Amino acid sequence: MTLLLIVLLPLVGSLVPIASARSGRTTCAWLTAILPAIALGIAAWYTPAVFGGQLPQVSLDWVPALGLDIAFRLDGLSLLFVYLVLGIGLLIILYARYYLSEKDSMSRFYAYLMLFMTAMLGIVTADNLLLMWFFWELTSLSSFLLIGYWSHLSEARKGARMALTVTGAGGLCLLAGILLMGHVVGSYSLTTVLEHRELIQQSSLYQPILLLFLLGAFTKSAQFPFQFWLPHAMAAPTPVSAYLHSATMVKAGVFLLARMYPVLSGTDEWFYIVTLTGLATLLYGAFFALIKQDLKGVLAFSTISHLGLITLLFGFNSKLAAVAGVFHIINHATFKASLFMAAGIVDHECGTRDIRKLNGLWRYMPYTTVLAAVASASMAGVPLLNGFLSKEMFLAQSLEAQMLGGLSWMIPALATLGSVLSVAYSLRFIHDVFFNGEPRDLPKTPHEPPRYMRLPIEILILLCIMVGILPGIMVEPILRAATAAVVPGQAPEIHLALWHGFNLPLMMSAIALSAGVLVYLLRNHIYRFHRQFRAVNARQSFEFSVQRVVRSAQWGLDRFENGSLQRYMFLLLLSAVIVAAFGLMDVPSMAGLKSLQPLDPVVVTGAGILCLAGLGTVMLHRRRLLSLLFLSVVGMFVSLTFARFSAPDLALTQLAVEVVTIILLMLALFFLPQKTPKESSGRRVSRDILLSMIFGGVIASLNYAVLTRPLQSISTYFIENSVPGGGGHNIVNVILVDFRGFDTLGEITVLGIAGIAIYKLLNRLRLFMPSSDMEGRPWSPDRYPVILSSVSQTLLPLALLVSVFIFLRGHNLPGGGFIAGLVAAVVIILVYMSRGVEWTQRRMSFNYQPIAVTGVAIAALTGLGSWVFNKPFLTSSFGHFDIPLIGDIELATAMMFDLGVYLTVVGSTLMILANLGKVTTPHRPSKEKQ
Amino acid sequence: MNLTTSHLIALLPLMLVCATVVIVMLAVAWRRNHFMSATLTVIGLNAALLALIPAAQVAPIQVTPLLMVDHYSLFYMGLILVAALACTTLAYAYLETLPDQRDEFYMLLGCSVAGALVLVASQHLTSLFIGLELMSVPLYGLSGYAFKERTSLESGIKYMVLSAMASAFLLFGMALLYAESGTLSFTGLGQQLSAGGLASNWVILGVGMMVVGLGFKLSIAPFHLWTPDVYEGAPAPVSAFLATVSKVAVFAMLMRLFSLAPATADGWLHTIIAVLAVLSMVVGNLLALMQSNLKRIIGYSSIAHLGYLLTALVASDGLALEATAVYLVTYVATVLGAFGVITLVSSPYRGADAGLLYHYRGLFWRRPYLTAVLTVMMLSLAGIPMTAGFIGKFYVFSVGVESSLWWLVGGVVLGSALGLYYYLRVMVTLYLSPAEQPGRDAPHDWAQQVGGLMVLVLAVLVLIMGVYPQPLIDLAQMAGLQFPI
Repeated sequence: MTLLLIVLLPLVGSLVPIASARSGRTTCAWLTAILPAIALGIAAWYTPAVFGGQLPQVSLDWVPALGLDIAFRLDGLSLLFVYLVLGIGLLIILYARYYLSEKDSMSRFYAYLMLFMTAMLGIVTADNLLLMWFFWELTSLSSFLLIGYWSHLSEARKGARMALTVTGAGGLCLLAGILLMGHVVGSYSLTTVLEHRELIQQSSLYQPILLLFLLGAFTKSAQFPFQFWLPHAMAAPTPVSAYLHSATMVKAGVFLLARMYPVLSGTDEWFYIVTLTGLATLLYGAFFALIKQDLKGVLAFSTISHLGLITLLFGFNSKLAAVAGVFHIINHATFKASLFMAAGIVDHECGTRDIRKLNGLWRYMPYTTVLAAVASASMAGVPLLNGFLSKEMFLAQSLEAQMLGGLSWMIPALATLGSVLSVAYSLRFIHDVFFNGEPRDLPKTPHEPPRYMRLPIEILILLCIMVGILPGIMVEPILRAATAAVVPGQAPEIHLALWHGFNLPLMMSAIALSAGVLVYLLRNHIYRFHRQFRAVNARQSFEFSVQRVVRSAQWGLDRFENGSLQRYMFLLLLSAVIVAAFGLMDVPSMAGLKSLQPLDPVVVTGAGILCLAGLGTVMLHRRRLLSLLFLSVVGMFVSLTFARFSAPDLALTQLAVEVVTIILLMLALFFLPQKTPKESSGRRVSRDILLSMIFGGVIASLNYAVLTRPLQSISTYFIENSVPGGGGHNIVNVILVDFRGFDTLGEITVLGIAGIAIYKLLNRLRLFMPSSDMEGRPWSPDRYPVILSSVSQTLLPLALLVSVFIFLRGHNLPGGGFIAGLVAAVVIILVYMSRGVEWTQRRMSFNYQPIAVTGVAIAALTGLGSWVFNKPFLTSSFGHFDIPLIGDIELATAMMFDLGVYLTVVGSTLMILANLGKVTTPHRPSKEKQ
Repeated sequence: MNLTTSHLIALLPLMLVCATVVIVMLAVAWRRNHFMSATLTVIGLNAALLALIPAAQVAPIQVTPLLMVDHYSLFYMGLILVAALACTTLAYAYLETLPDQRDEFYMLLGCSVAGALVLVASQHLTSLFIGLELMSVPLYGLSGYAFKERTSLESGIKYMVLSAMASAFLLFGMALLYAESGTLSFTGLGQQLSAGGLASNWVILGVGMMVVGLGFKLSIAPFHLWTPDVYEGAPAPVSAFLATVSKVAVFAMLMRLFSLAPATADGWLHTIIAVLAVLSMVVGNLLALMQSNLKRIIGYSSIAHLGYLLTALVASDGLALEATAVYLVTYVATVLGAFGVITLVSSPYRGADAGLLYHYRGLFWRRPYLTAVLTVMMLSLAGIPMTAGFIGKFYVFSVGVESSLWWLVGGVVLGSALGLYYYLRVMVTLYLSPAEQPGRDAPHDWAQQVGGLMVLVLAVLVLIMGVYPQPLIDLAQMAGLQFPI
């Protein structure tokens, strides 16, 4: 369980600085350092056991359903990284105490730093792949906070966002890889996964797994072509760069390579992808490190280059190369962290990082100069320093790589070239900054930094030298332990020594050193050469591509999402038409099996008029009255169509409904604004015409195709059962009042409620009565035309009679309560219209609400009546009665029900329509208010 | 079939919601009191939530051929009811300052919830349509509720017109499907489809039309056009409702339809849906980059999230059901929280909602806790570990990987990377130095109000689900689909 503490202590530690924010800066730093120091102590306590080949592990359930456990392990590799993370982390805490200015919030910085440290420790000690990924994402996030620490700088914000975007996306790739690997192995436990090398490599999913893992590692470790985020992350405070970009964050990627080395390496895919990426990164970084003018930029690119080197080593598929890779991880962390800190001191004391301005600083800070020079020498691979050892190993291993066949010589050659460049930029870092003349217009006068700000660098430099001189004592045990975790099976013979005798690698080193000096001397030629190219600023191009994406998004927005309802309708219709058209294209033939009915002139004429009337409605839609007239023609012909195709009932209903609707529209029209503004341009109109033609065409063909296919109709059932079951010959009516009586009951209830609601809504509404039409012509002053009123009065009794007739015969012949109700309503409305509301109400002084309610009640009671006879609700019965003189009459309970329908329809319709007449007022509302 | 007591118990949640609507209506007719209407609604919804427990005892049970009350539908009913409760509390905070009639809001909300409940239990195209319309039609009114604001009215009209059209397509599709198969029940369709007798073009056409209609309701690209406009214009609690309840209901129903009637003869439907999913991810995230209005951003992000979720639909085996359940829960909690903050910031003001990012600039310096809540929600939307959103995304990822849907997984990765960008933009805005003119602000005592409490609870919930999702996963695993025999 103590193992957990290594991760937990820094996590708790992230709260310490916040709690101790008020207790002074130095105290805050000390308090912050306590917990990581304890964690370091715990790691040290574990060290003998790990060196002895034990594997401390701890595992707790977290989310078993996902296979996510809180499982940690501390093998050699983990231990090595724990030392790096905690050790350098402690030095950074010390350094940052003096680096941060009074204005910067110390506690916030330390909190972020500890959070990051936790995440990093989590990655290196996790024993569960998902847990590792979890911490992996946490490093991306906390590094976002750290890089963007100076949030007032737009540079920092952009850099942080770029870093997070790239590493975040890489992290998701890694997650996919992990999931796949879990899929193959059946467990996310690292211990299990590491045992299944064969299974994974023989799986058909090996290639995607490899690619996804490598994507994750390469984005994190800033490998080509994802290297661009790292230089821009230099907007971070220098302690952050020293920590994240030397020892930890970017090392997470190569850590992943090392971690997965036992299971993923050894194949051709691994070799080609990893080696070539590493090589490209090595050279790319080295070249740009040589020409950057920003002090931290040089270090950033050199970091990229060295990460490339480590990647390259892991790619070689040789055990010794992997050892060299691990070794270089340690060395790079030590010298690069000290270099970053030195750069931070220069920046801090001089106020600039521009190499062109910084010259001859040794006069002002001789001590720092020495430290930086030693670190640079280590980076260049000068003997007696740790960088030299790993570089030797690297060069030796590059000679071993044989997999490029005849071109294998290129690997050592390019490796040497990389070393040459490395020497050159290291030299430049020292010579240009600390020597080479006098400084030019520095914002501050430089001097030596505070004692304790140098201390971390001194410690690291000491390590560099000690490792360089006494590698066997200093690093061999831990390297051996780490190697055991990276290289499975028989551990390779590690023999670290300063002197291996005169051999090819040593010669290559010598070449690198001398040629490096030469390159440095000729650097102006390189600059001149480089100046011929347009400067490629990664952030600019990143921003540029972002801008391009944004522009295309904007274009899409303008095109499709301009907020116009018409546009949305257009697009929606278009997509539906496309779907339909595709479906129709597959249909082999439009016409189905059914033969067509013969065309007769009546139908053709009717259809023609229907089309014309429809067109007229649309074309004249701005002149509403005319449009309405055309609409009524359409309605009329629809009714006629029903009549023509033997549905007289439907035709009658449609006709009555048409009349009521048109009346309603007419009444409403009266109050609507008289003028319809012209809204559509010619182009839009033609577009709409086109679309409606296409849409109509598609729908018409669809209908045609459906209608010409044989269908199974349910009508036979009703035809057979209408008389025996419902006692009526009018099937439609029987369905309405009997078979589907319950539905009808619901419908008339809704109708009644709607009528009452409209009545109530209109009750208080008063609308101004316009006095002229759209062209300014006054409406006729003769409100109640004589002829119409006399005709309507004459019609009233007749029509009521007709309505009763239709109602009575409804059960057997076309008709029924619904139609009859509508007929009655229409004629009463006619009276209202011709005589006015007041005149009519004086003579027909009854309310319509009770009528509608009575209708619903009768219908419901009829239904309930069947309960008296122990039948289910709404069971109907019928009987034949022989009445003298009149003859045989059939009476059905359904008739009562139909009466209910009749009354409801009359009541509701009149409630709605009769009251529209009342809402007019001759006064303008605005005047009324005054 | 006869209705027995157990059928009624199974339907109890639905009936209680309907009763709530009626009771609120009667109460309003008796006396208008905003507090009372809201309280009645909350009581009713809570009662319905409690009624899920007895309903779970009798489940799975088929209530008429139309509805299937199984653990699956009960799970989503619970989610819908909780989300509706959250929307109610938000609405209470929001409506307090609305200079208009407030009580009708709760009736419309109740009707819509009833529709959503029908939808998740439906196993028949009829109940599907009824549920869908019952859910959507009140939403027209709700989105235009603050109709004195032009944007709100506009959003109501837009939603109504487009939604009606989408329903028309849906009906057309259903009719074609029916004409070909002669059955409307999901299982019946499934049998006919799997028998292979229905590989005809009419089925393709019908299903295609249905995809258009349902895609519209789910706001999947390219049928998403209405989403940002409506989210922006509608009152914030309504946007929250639209983004959560309506999406959950439709998706749950779609999942059932897809599981019972997989049109997988040659997988063409999967291809279409996969294409739509990737399109949604890309379009949603890309267009969100440009937005300066928080409500629109969430609108676009909901398009993208539905795209992610479609991955589960395409896979529709293995983990898919569980993934859907987990994803929807986490998504609902997150979106409710985000809209909750918007509501709280908007509610003390008259006029349009505070949607512009500008209004939120430097909110941290005025309302640190509220800002923290919004930050958590943004992190969760971005799918950052330790938040609920991550668990959902993880599931979608697993499903995609498990079923080897590489294009979709790639889309999720790309979409998430793009998504980080604009979620971060929102977060960064919150912490910038405050604007010159004071932006909008939540009332001082926001945390003491129901809406504020609800938002805090949601934030805690999002974190808890992110850190310890096991209970949620257990629950999701129980919510298995009952296949009718």
